[in-house]
This record gives sequence, structure tokens and C-alpha cells, in this order.
Amino acid sequence: MAAGVRVRDLTVSFPTPDGPLPAVAGVSLDLARGQITGLVGESGSGKSTLALTLLNAVPAPGHVSSGSVLIDDVGDVLALRRAELRRARGAKIGYVFQASQNSLNPLKPVGKQLLDLGRSHGQRDLRAFLHTARLLMDEMGLDAERVLASYQHELSGGMRQRVGIALALVLNAHVLILDEPTTALDMLTQASVLAIIRKVHAERHLTTLVISHDMGVVGDLADRMAVMYAGRIVEEGPTAQVLADPRHPYTRGLLTSMPRITGEIKEARPLPGRVPDLASAPRQGCVFRPRCPLATDACATAEPPATVLGDRRFACYVAAGEAGAAA
Amino acid sequence: MTTTSALTPEQLQRAMRRSRQRAASRWRLFVNTPGRVASCVIVVVFALMAIAGPYLYPANLPIHPGDIYAPPSLAHPLGTDFEGTDTLALIVTGARYVLLAALIAAVITIVLGTSAGLAAGYYPRLAGSAIMRVTDFVLAIPGFPVLLVLSTIWRFSSVLQMGVALGVFGWGGVARAVRAQTLSLRERGFVEAARGLGLPGGHIIRAEVLPNVAPFIGMNLMLQLTGFIYTEVGLFFLGAVPYSTNNWGVMLNNAVFQANAVTSPRALAYLLSPLICILLITLALVTLANAVDEFFNPRLRRA
Amino acid sequence: MIEGRSITRTFAARRGALGHRGVRALRGVDFTIPDRGAVSFIGESGCGKTTLGRILCGLEDFDGGDLIIAGQSMAGLRPGQRAPYHRRIQMIHQDPYSALNPTRTIGQILADPLTLRARQLDADRGRLDRGWLDRGWLDRGWLDKRRAELLGFVGLDPDYVLPRYPHMLSGGMRQRVVIARALTVDPEVLVADEAVSMIDVSLRLGILQLLRDLRETIGVSVLFITHDVATARYIGQGGRLYVIYRGAVVEHGDTDTVIQHPAHPYTQCLLSAVPVLQGIERPGPDRVVPTGPLDERSEPPGCLFEPRCPFAEEDCRAAPPELGQLGGTRQRHACLHPARRSVVAVPAGSGAA
Repeated sequence: MAAGVRVRDLTVSFPTPDGPLPAVAGVSLDLARGQITGLVGESGSGKSTLALTLLNAVPAPGHVSSGSVLIDDVGDVLALRRAELRRARGAKIGYVFQASQNSLNPLKPVGKQLLDLGRSHGQRDLRAFLHTARLLMDEMGLDAERVLASYQHELSGGMRQRVGIALALVLNAHVLILDEPTTALDMLTQASVLAIIRKVHAERHLTTLVISHDMGVVGDLADRMAVMYAGRIVEEGPTAQVLADPRHPYTRGLLTSMPRITGEIKEARPLPGRVPDLASAPRQGCVFRPRCPLATDACATAEPPATVLGDRRFACYVAAGEAGAAA
Repeated sequence: MTTTSALTPEQLQRAMRRSRQRAASRWRLFVNTPGRVASCVIVVVFALMAIAGPYLYPANLPIHPGDIYAPPSLAHPLGTDFEGTDTLALIVTGARYVLLAALIAAVITIVLGTSAGLAAGYYPRLAGSAIMRVTDFVLAIPGFPVLLVLSTIWRFSSVLQMGVALGVFGWGGVARAVRAQTLSLRERGFVEAARGLGLPGGHIIRAEVLPNVAPFIGMNLMLQLTGFIYTEVGLFFLGAVPYSTNNWGVMLNNAVFQANAVTSPRALAYLLSPLICILLITLALVTLANAVDEFFNPRLRRA
Repeated sequence: MIEGRSITRTFAARRGALGHRGVRALRGVDFTIPDRGAVSFIGESGCGKTTLGRILCGLEDFDGGDLIIAGQSMAGLRPGQRAPYHRRIQMIHQDPYSALNPTRTIGQILADPLTLRARQLDADRGRLDRGWLDRGWLDRGWLDKRRAELLGFVGLDPDYVLPRYPHMLSGGMRQRVVIARALTVDPEVLVADEAVSMIDVSLRLGILQLLRDLRETIGVSVLFITHDVATARYIGQGGRLYVIYRGAVVEHGDTDTVIQHPAHPYTQCLLSAVPVLQGIERPGPDRVVPTGPLDERSEPPGCLFEPRCPFAEEDCRAAPPELGQLGGTRQRHACLHPARRSVVAVPAGSGAA
């Protein structure tokens, strides 16, 4: 299956008092066309930076040190210049920002923002454009007339999120990126937003990337998932396989430390240590070593290479050893 | 049992050193661009002028009747005035009145305004409306015209009087702004927690609210100083206040009305000297106001 | 022990938006928080659970009913007299960063309420009250010892934490400091309002287990307010769960019972909405969703959930149902037609449901 988005060896660095440090370090990831890929990571994992890089929108002073982001019929996003980049954003790549509640202009009604979007992308027939938008909103269970006339604060959190998704898709992008689409939404609203994402993805045959700190959201929604820690992808594969048989100690740790509605309470164990930030991540060896219950001396030497196991990848010396022994 | 961090002792040392460096580097904000370095120098120079200036010259500056409105020369780097007094001497001795009065006014404004704002903001139901009515009244008073009128009765013969007069009419804006910030801080988690813990109101205002309002006050102090310098100089320029002391506003008044410096080229130095001084000190204060803002608010700092 | 009896709270209407009736945030809520107990309030945002927590801490007033703290009725006291009672109930906010003053070190943040506490304890013992500002008599040793002790209770190293400012600590550590601060006044109840939702997932369990352990070590009760039902399971044995919908309790009972065998359709909808982890779980076979969105302005004559309930019947519109044990349930619920539905995810390996 041709890949919709291919990220290769991407490194995004930020300047710090200790020199430039990578928020995203040598990440390679494929977003298969027509599939929902989920990216799980806690704060400081670099997931939002990675997402912004797909739009070539890393905020200064961060910059891309190396790597490429190839998107079907766009090319390498990182090589695009201003005008082409602006066209690509919105028309080819739809991005729903974290907490959509804050990305809508509080001083303009939604309809006006929509028209602005259309105009800036050279849509000549604005009536047809609005019509498309209305249909899209109806699909999402929004009362289009009411929503278009409303200001951001007049809409509930769930409605704002849906408006965010509609704005991202109204120009018929075929790649959809959602950064924390359900944070700050309560359970019922979250469930309905996830259902809408599934529906819209299926109807439009999109390539979707869902980024979340909530393993539950990714575990429910995504066909494939990747786990990110300190700027690196530590495990990746079909969701059901990764969850049923996690290989990387961080993935295992996340699953055991996650409060869940089912399962034995006594089996849950918190992960020791702190979530690393740019400055505190170990510079040598495996980034997860300080918190890893299985760490060996080998783990301190160099970053573990990716081990491929069928349709999955993971980066851990110990897990690689186990996989090798089982083979 | 403790779950502090998984940092090794070396990493801990490094982290502590970094945070000490960060703390020290905050002061470097005041000198991190050439503009700010220049501003600091200007402020220091004028401050020295204000403090030490009058001691460098005799109480009654010597006049040189044969040298009226002389152009700049080695003996008189900035020329002379209508009496032949050295302009440079006038500038240096004139700094004290202008700057000190502005400082007194700014301090009064900040103290009165902050107190009123904190009280009105923290006790909106009890003291709030009463204080805000007074504040609105003060805000509505047109300060400059009132001072003009006042100057016909009151001589403002001392720096203190000038400072008080300016300050008393100027605290309204600060009060409003501080009240708005206090109202919003009141709802913040740590203030609610302090109330829930039973900490007394006075402590909360002093230790919880005030330090968080400090950034605004710091920046405002700079801007207030420039405003008051202008007001003073304006008053003196209009001749509203009779002059018995050397100060820049008086110099401007003389230069324009007596020497006709705006229409004739002689005494140009006499006109420009105080103007440029005022401009310099204002620019310096405004530039440093930005640094003060960044000093308190880490998010504004450039990486 | 804390008891709430028929607590009511109506917020005054905003200009024209909701009509002159105002928003009824709480409609006669009854609850009990036993000593060393663990009670959870579950519900969507806007259901009134946060308001209830704030009423307990004295940050908001209530319009009707009564709150009994340590045997004393709050309705019988003037607002000014209630403060010492409400001090026994301390709030742990959602946002650990805004809950700590960014301009003060952790040492100072803990010292302030401890100083106050020392003064209170001395007053109790009959020593002269020399005024708040007079710290000369304060036993510095006691202060330091108690601070270190409290930080130990919450699993923090005093030497590391005391000299630092809040922004130098991680979210999880800040929340622990907030808990330590709450403990400085020797409270009876900790109200944790979404206390872990802004903390990284791998650190949440630590905080939840800390709250569970504090029930044993210090003897506080925990009131856990959240929209994430899963977290309510981890605050320890003997927990009770209250499901709140639009200001009314629709179901309450033992936590595990309510989660495994929910009776009220709203509870069943909430539990159906919990994401299902592919590969480990399968969705519960009887999952339900509400038939429509929440309309805060509607005031149905009967059951509040009826307009959205997929199982509503004629008599549900007649009158608001009372809490009872219809259908032979172990918990109490307010549904006229309860039915067993398997809504919670089942382990993937298990046989057919």
C-alpha cells in the first residue's frame, strides 16, 4: 500500500544554554494511506513538535536539523517555499490544533473565519464553498446555521472541536492531523468526537494521524500506533498487537500505570522517575534507561537500533534479545 | 519511599548550577542589547547628575555678561544663556529638580495606586466600590490643566511640593490596573488555597498577590517617570510656575520666549540641550521598561 | 464525618441568556463522607460536582439544605463562623501550577500555613496570643521538622524540594506539594477536583496511590471529583461512587458494584463511553449512547435524563424518580426501569459475553 506520509530520519532541535538539543531525534514513521495512525506520548515526548513539523510549522527558535517529510502529491513539506507551503496547508493537509477551543478567533463568528479561510485559499465561488462547509458540519451532527453564526465562546467544547475538524477538512485535504483532539472533553463528548473522526476518516478515505497522551484514545481509534518518548519512537505497529504484546519497557510501563476501568487494581504499578525534558534526557545510550526496570550495562552505551518483528518495530536491547531468543 | 527524580548526583549538580546561572542571568537582561547598555549608561549618568550635580558648582552660577548666548566653545561646551551662565552647568544642576520631583511623584503614584488597587481588588464587595468611586474621580480630573490653575495659587517652591502635587493627581490609572490584576489573581488556585487554609487577608495581599503584581508595577514605574518628567517640563515651559531654581523646563521657557531660539539661530545650543536631555532620559527609561517586563516575565525573553 | 443533606444551589441568571430562573447547579443532593473514607463524584462537566466540592471547602455558599461537619450544622452558623469548620476540608485543585504561588519557594509556601497552625495549636493550649507578625516565639525546630515530615508523607525529598520554585518541579511533584500544603492544617477531608487530569499519564497512578495511602497513614478521607471513572477505582478500599447528572444524584453505591453493574441508563452511557483498548479488550455488548446532546436550558417535568435516554418510557415524564433499589440492586439509583446491561469492556481473551 502506497504510504500517504513518510517521515524519514527527522530531527528537530532547539537551542538551549547547553547547546542545541533535539526535541525530535531521528524519527522515521509511515502514515499508511487510508489508515488511522495514533501517536502516544506524554508531555516532553516531542509529539506536538513532530506534528507541527508535518506542516513545516515548527515554532522558532526550533529548526529542522535533518530529515524529510514526504506527503503524496505534495512532495517534501520541508522543502516547500512560502507560497506553496501556504497552499499545501489546509488544501492538502488538514490540521486540528490542540485544544481547538483556543484556535478559533474569539472576535469573529465561525462563518466569517470560514470565509476567510476560503478567500485566502483562492476559492472563487464562496457560496459553493459555504455549502460544502454546511454539509460537512451536518455530517458531524452540528446545527450548521447556528454554528456559523456563533462566536467561539457560545459553543460547547465538543462543538468547538467539531468545528475545528470541519475547518481542517473543508478544503478537501486528504491528510488529517489531530493534536490532542479530546483533551479537556468529558467522557461522552469524547466518545462522540472519536466516532465522528472515525466516520469522516472512512467516508473520505483519509490518512489520519491522531496524537494523544491518552493511550485509551489511541488504543480505541487507531489502526496502527506509535509510542514516543523523549523525541524518539520506541515502539510501533498494529494497535492490537502493540497493546496485547508490548515489547518496549516504556510501553509496558505505560499500560501498567494507566488507570483503567477493568482489570486488577493491584496489578497497576506507577512508573518511577520523571518524564524527561530536553535538558534532562540522557545524552548517551537509551533515553529510557533511568526509569527502566530492565536496564543493563549495554543500554548505557548507545541508543538501541530498531528491531523489526513482522509488521512491528521497537528499539530496545533487552526486548531485541528476547525476540531473538524466541526466534 | 521517595519518588523525587531519577537524576544522578552529577545531573543534579548540573541542574542546580544551571538554575543558579539562570537566576544570575536575569540581571543580564538589562545589558543584553546595545540599546539597553546605552540606556543603563544614560540613566546612571543622569542619576549621578541629579545626586552630585549641585555639589560640583557653586550655589550661584557665575555669569559672564560679555558672553551672552555664546555658541559652543571649549570654555562653554554647550554655550551660554541670556546671562552668560554656562549651559552645561545649568543642565547638570538642573537635573536634580526635574528628576527628583518626577521620582517623588512616581513613588507616590505607585504607592497610592497599588494600595488602592489591591484593597479594591481583594475586597470587591466591602471596599471595592467606595475605592473605585474615588479612583474614577481622580482619573476624571484633568491633571495638567488643574496643575496649571493650581500654580497660580501655589508656588511649588520645593521639589517635594512639586512631586506631591504631580503624584496626587496621577494615581488613578495605576489603581485601576492593579485592581484588575488583583481581581483576576484572586481566583487563581494559590490564592483560593491560601484562603481555604485560613491565612489572613493581609498576608495574602502582601505575600501572594503583591509579588505577582510586581512586574506590572516595575514597568509602570519607568513609564510614570517619563510621564511626570514631561508634565513638569511642560508646566515650567508654559511659565506656569515661577522659577527660582535651575531646571530644564525653565531653560526651555527662556530659550523659546526670551531668546526666540525657535526662530533665530543664536542660542540654539541653549534650546537643544535640555530638549536632548529630556529625550535621552525618556528613551532610556522606556527601553529599560521593556527589560523590567522581561525580568519579571520569563515568557517574554528572547531565547 | 461529613454529611450533606438536600444541598441546593442555584446560580443567578446571566443577562437574558437563560431566562429569569437561573441555573440550578445542585438539586437537593444527599451524601455522606465517612472517616477515612473514599467517595467519588462522577459526572460530565457542568453537572455540579465541582460546585459541590467548592461548597464543602467553603469557597461557595449553598442555598438550601444543610452541610454537617463534625456534627455541626453549617446552615445554623453565619458565614463568618463557618471558616474553622471548612478549614478541615482542603481542596486539591486540578492545575498544580496555578495552585502554587510562582514567586515563592516551596519552603515558604509550606511555612505560611504551618506558622498559622502553630499559632492555633498554641491558642488551644492556652498560650498567649502574640499576634500574627510576631514570629519570635515560633519554634523553628518544630516548623522544619513538621515540614520535612509532611514532605515525607507525600514522597518528596525535603532537601531537593524546599529551596525550589514551583516551575522547577514536574507536574506530579507540584501536585504532591499541593497535597502536603493541604495537610499542614491537619484536615479531615481532601477534596481532589480533577486532581490528576493535568498530570502525565505515567505519573497519575502515583498520586492516586498517594491519596489511598494517606487514608491509612494520616486518616484523612478523600473526596475524588472527576469525569474519568477509571481513576475513581484507585483511591482505595471501601470506596463509594456517586453519579451526578445535572445537579442530582442518579446512582450511588459501592464503587465496584456501580462500575460492574450500573443500573441507571446515564451511568451506563458514561461507562459505555470509556475507550476500548484493541487487542486487550472487546467492547461491552450492550453499550448505549444518549439519544441527543445535553440541553442545559430544558427543565423536563419528570426524570432529568429522559429527553436523552434511549430507554425512556411514558411514566418517566411524570415525576422525577426517587432514589431507591428498584430491580433488586445493591446500590441506590433513580431509574424507574432499570435493566442489566453489560457496557464495560470485557477482556479480549474471554469467552462470548
